[in-house]
Amino acid sequence: MTSLHEFVGAREIWEVPLAASVVAGALLGFLGVYVVLRRTVFVSAALTQLSTLGLVATLLVEERVHIETEHAIEQLAVAMVFSVVGALLLGAFRARRLPAEASVGAAWVVASALVVLGSSRLVHAAHDLGGMVFGNAVAVAAGELAMLAVVAALCTAVHTAFAKELAFTSFDPETARALGMRVPLWDAVLFLTVGVAIPPAARALGALPVFAFLTLPAAGALLLRVGFRPAFALAAAFGVLAASGGYVLSWLWELPTGATMVALAAVLAIPGVLWRLARG
Amino acid sequence: MTAPLIALEGAAVGYGGRAILDGVNLSVGPGDFLAVVGPNGGGKTTVLLTLLGAIPLVGGRLLRPRPLRIGYVPQREHVDTIWPLTAAEVALMGRVPGIGPWRRPGAVDHEEVRKAMARVGIEELADQAYGELSGGQRQRTLIARALAANPELLALDEPTNGMDPAAELATMDLLRELHGGGTLAIMMVSHRLENVANYARTLAFVDKGQALFRMGSLDEMLRPEALGALYGRAVAVREENGRRFVYPTSAEEQRREEGRR
Repeated sequence: MTSLHEFVGAREIWEVPLAASVVAGALLGFLGVYVVLRRTVFVSAALTQLSTLGLVATLLVEERVHIETEHAIEQLAVAMVFSVVGALLLGAFRARRLPAEASVGAAWVVASALVVLGSSRLVHAAHDLGGMVFGNAVAVAAGELAMLAVVAALCTAVHTAFAKELAFTSFDPETARALGMRVPLWDAVLFLTVGVAIPPAARALGALPVFAFLTLPAAGALLLRVGFRPAFALAAAFGVLAASGGYVLSWLWELPTGATMVALAAVLAIPGVLWRLARG
Repeated sequence: MTAPLIALEGAAVGYGGRAILDGVNLSVGPGDFLAVVGPNGGGKTTVLLTLLGAIPLVGGRLLRPRPLRIGYVPQREHVDTIWPLTAAEVALMGRVPGIGPWRRPGAVDHEEVRKAMARVGIEELADQAYGELSGGQRQRTLIARALAANPELLALDEPTNGMDPAAELATMDLLRELHGGGTLAIMMVSHRLENVANYARTLAFVDKGQALFRMGSLDEMLRPEALGALYGRAVAVREENGRRFVYPTSAEEQRREEGRR
């Protein structure tokens, strides 16, 4: 076990990763409210996996053409392309011939299999990939934090500018369409923000915490029935608490970082569950 | 004759380029009260949503001579109750298309919502969670949302579905009151003819299974031959204390009726 004094002393090591965890926790917690209310939790799981697949694909290409230096921005860009295309296909422009669960499940399982296959062919980057998938969040570069902050600012701007359109078209698309609103466009805007947010957050925290943060903080906030707008703020706060608290606890208790964050996010959802149970 | 607010001319309606019903001629003018009646799954909602422009036409023409303010009330079951929105927040959504992007709802929008909620008698429910309201209160909230846009056409899809008789009557009375002989046009879809026979002025029968689309005045459509075309059997209409009761007759009653003729 590490003491709090030792942890504070190692500030230079953890300040950037902790800041990245806080930004990612807030962003994913906020977006998670739409993910949960629109019943697209497994879309976010599939997108996280597609983002990892993009990363694996880039690492494979880098190894094959003997690129020795790491190209984090290029890796992130490819992961974003995979995630955004997945977000548009699975969320906004989903083929109606198949049930949603079937296309989302297929995307998740195929992406997962390809990640395993791709990882098996990696020579040097296989170890790093494990950390990226399950989340150790200990080695986030300043550039990655900057990228995450830019994405968070963009998503916040979009959700602030178009809050009422995104809420209306998500809550009651049939009426919105009948009143002349371009529902597919607003769906695309919403899922684009989710698709863009996942890769830099997954790069910083790992795929497992990203999926958890898109689900648990929002579920915890919504269970408390604080209202629609306050639910976004509360979910973001839960995300920040789970990410930062999980990060610190994993240092102090020498636990896997991503799993500690997820466990704390689950603990934060418990008051909501108890409150709902008490209310019957 | 008053120019229609909105009309379908020789329309083929359906999904994905495939028509489920052809030859639909329908128009709604100021002050009309049109009820679209037919069996469940008969294509009524498709006709309504095509008229509103929410489903692309497969063929024919959709006429809207001038920009039209529309209020739409979907089937209550289509609106998700897990969203933690208050009744007032739901009603405010009716103003969203008119406000446009980049702008936030202002004092005028909130005042219109308050007036719309007062008009349907649920002003005191403004801060209640939509998901915790009764079926009748949710229906009134959705009607208030439609009214918040000050519509010229109020379109409703099965507004009394799943309601007990008292709530059903109260909802239909509310629609009559809103219509009130003014210029607000109402178009509603219902699978229960009896539900609308005492309120609508014009009826349209829709059944894609029989490739049936027929529209006319209430008196014209409540004649035995028109009802027979829709239901494929004899249907009686009786009037008691100024209310119409519509019911299918048994084979025995049908034989007696034919004998009497």
